[in-house]
Amino acid sequence: MTATTSIPDNLSATAHLSFDRVRPSVAGPTVAGKGGFSHYSVESRLHDEMFHDDGTSRTVAERLGTALNNAMPEQLMQLQDGVRRQFLHEGITFTVIGKEEVTEQIIPIDCVPRVLTDSEWDHIDQGLRQRLHAINLFLRDIYHEGWSLRDGIVPYELVLGCPQYRMEMLGTKVPHDVYVSVCGTDVVRTRDGFAVLEDNLRVPSGVSYMLACRAAIKQVMPRLYRAHNVREVLPYPRQLYSQLASLVTWTQSPRIAVLTPGRYNSAYYEHAFLAGEMGAELVEGRDTVVHDGLVFMRTVTGLKRVDVIYRRVDDDFLDPVTFRSDSLLGVPGLFHAYRVGNVVIANAPGTGVADDKALYAYVPDLIRYFLSEEPILSNVETYLCRTTEGLTYTLENLDKLVVKEVGGSGGYGMLVGPHASAKEKRDFAERLRTDPANFISQPTLALSRAPCFIDGKIVPRHVDVRPFVLRGKKETWIAPGGLCCVALRQGSLVVNSSQGGGCKDLWIINEKERDA
Amino acid sequence: MLARAAGDFYWMGRYFERAEHTARLLDHHLARLVDTPADVLAHGWQLLYAALAQPLPTSPTETGDTEAFLVPDAFALAAHLIEDTENPDSIIQSWTTARDNAKQLRPWLPIRVWTCLNDGFLWLRNCDFTECWAQGPNRLPAGVVDRLRHLSGVIEAMMSRDNAWRFFELGRFVERLQLQTALLQAWSRPSNKKSQMWAGLLNVCAAYEAYCRECSMVIQPGHALAFLISNPEVPRSLSFATQSVQYLLSDIDPAGRRYPRRAPHRHVLRLAATIETNLQASAEDADTQDFLGDFAEECRTLHDLIIAEYIDYPLEQGLPS
Repeated sequence: MTATTSIPDNLSATAHLSFDRVRPSVAGPTVAGKGGFSHYSVESRLHDEMFHDDGTSRTVAERLGTALNNAMPEQLMQLQDGVRRQFLHEGITFTVIGKEEVTEQIIPIDCVPRVLTDSEWDHIDQGLRQRLHAINLFLRDIYHEGWSLRDGIVPYELVLGCPQYRMEMLGTKVPHDVYVSVCGTDVVRTRDGFAVLEDNLRVPSGVSYMLACRAAIKQVMPRLYRAHNVREVLPYPRQLYSQLASLVTWTQSPRIAVLTPGRYNSAYYEHAFLAGEMGAELVEGRDTVVHDGLVFMRTVTGLKRVDVIYRRVDDDFLDPVTFRSDSLLGVPGLFHAYRVGNVVIANAPGTGVADDKALYAYVPDLIRYFLSEEPILSNVETYLCRTTEGLTYTLENLDKLVVKEVGGSGGYGMLVGPHASAKEKRDFAERLRTDPANFISQPTLALSRAPCFIDGKIVPRHVDVRPFVLRGKKETWIAPGGLCCVALRQGSLVVNSSQGGGCKDLWIINEKERDA
Repeated sequence: MLARAAGDFYWMGRYFERAEHTARLLDHHLARLVDTPADVLAHGWQLLYAALAQPLPTSPTETGDTEAFLVPDAFALAAHLIEDTENPDSIIQSWTTARDNAKQLRPWLPIRVWTCLNDGFLWLRNCDFTECWAQGPNRLPAGVVDRLRHLSGVIEAMMSRDNAWRFFELGRFVERLQLQTALLQAWSRPSNKKSQMWAGLLNVCAAYEAYCRECSMVIQPGHALAFLISNPEVPRSLSFATQSVQYLLSDIDPAGRRYPRRAPHRHVLRLAATIETNLQASAEDADTQDFLGDFAEECRTLHDLIIAEYIDYPLEQGLPS
């Protein structure tokens, strides 16, 4: 019953890809500003994912560019309509909780994929492996020996004062020392190359949209997809299951449950999707109970033991006995069961300390300290407002900087200096002075741009990508692709779906195999 | 299977059965607008609302102008039963709630079942009731019935016969038992003896042809009632629904059909025996009314027992030994 827009198979001789009709006047080389890209401009200060500075197409994007250039506008409209309808009919939504009502919205999706070469991706891949390894070592360290704190790599107060630091985790044995099993790191590209914008280590979301984007694109442009030899992201749920199962020591066939806050959570679709794809149970706190240090779930034939909880609930709400006592979402006694080693919780409680935006600034130092290596992926320059110099610099350059709350997410609680009004800047400066430790600032990044199909035209928009990294007992696996977020509003740098952003597919193209 | 998910399947089945039941009644009733006298129609609305256990929003007899009631009130009443989101038992509300249940069941539902269910919901939500009415008053409920049958077919074809499917079916048949009992109660009132009305009821229950084949072309209210209670081959008879619940509970229970059976299973066996006993008793009007009243109460108890036994049982009861 899904509505799809398929491409007819009777391709003309000139169009070697999916689009069967060629716009006669533009069937020539793909150039920004001409033909199908007549509304597309390249700016020298911004990296463009499809074009060189002179407007000619990058090699990796040549085929895609040609197909877009040759496509009739109504064909592109059909494609765009096709992917949107697929999202609508499959109910791929997120929940927006307003003041008065809860609404269900479809994730805005763009039909034009972003393209990267596999060598570019391998660079990101290596950088993320290195980063996650260092972060896991750091988390083990701060909850055990604390060498990195004693050696002054990270200030004590930054770690111990972080709201996400969990005293309860001190000395707790974590299975195979894997604190972070699932990580979604935001990676941006500027003229200087790739850089990490932030690490999401608590309950990173978006992977289901990545998979849904891919499925929709395959449906609507099968031939173009096939022609590109794109690396496959679909094994993600299977990999997630394997990596989580590998952390269990007491059984060969563990029972895995995805712990969700419930259907009013904005990422509920994702929780249900992952549980379904993994063959795991989707449980809420009220479905589970701890008895004699073991975790059980309530089934129609009695209580059954749970071995792994892939939790999509914040630490605060995980266990009302140990953490927030007013939580109705968690499982009373869960943390006790975890401490005695009868259940695996992924990600481990207390990992949020490492994705605090202030601590982010120290991750390159942590890589050097724990791995004796230079970071493969750089950080974005970050000023800590908790220091006098950082605060002064931030206040003096508010109109040039992006200021963020250290514990914020989803694009909320931040100020984009160049786009803010005078009043907004005044108000934010006041907040900075009142509670400087709660903020960091970063230069406004010149995020790279990629082509998007908006209002019947192909136009450039800023993009970033969230690759998903999985860590099990022995190996690390990274999905070759990620959730590519796009700021759909012209000039906007905010890519969050709750703030006018959307998503698009990311193709990692194996160039050698494709050419062969 | 997770008890809460079983509960969601159970409720999803109930809401779909409710939506289909209302749509079938409306389809039949609205199709007769064109050639039925106004007073008969007005009486039909009263019966229909009584069968749905809902109060009639406007009473046609109060207006004193039955002819005026014919079209404008029919429009308002149909809208109330189809698209009124304030009415918790309207078709759109039942479908919305069933979809809410289904949203929590994505890990268990085949994707085609979900898309079919979701497409149907989007179609109904986006339907312009006034426009559909202009094309034919029964067009919308008939469309709802078609889409729900299509969904049933997809479920039939796509879902494994595991506990997810069993609880869905269980919900449907428990709901059917309650709705059919209420329907028969409304029709078996002493004032309702016209054979034409009973022919209509047999049609609504998709049992008219079977009745004509097995009994007579002449519809006798008593026979028709007995037919709809105790014929085990008619899908909308009480006997058929009771048997279906019985089989489903046997399959859900890990002890299967062996003793000791669990409380809901024992209860449904008792319900089946009640139907058998009623068959042998004389079909006096008062007796039938009493029987249906008691039966409705027993159906509610069956629902409570199912919830208490499989879905919301005390935790200590479920601990492994």
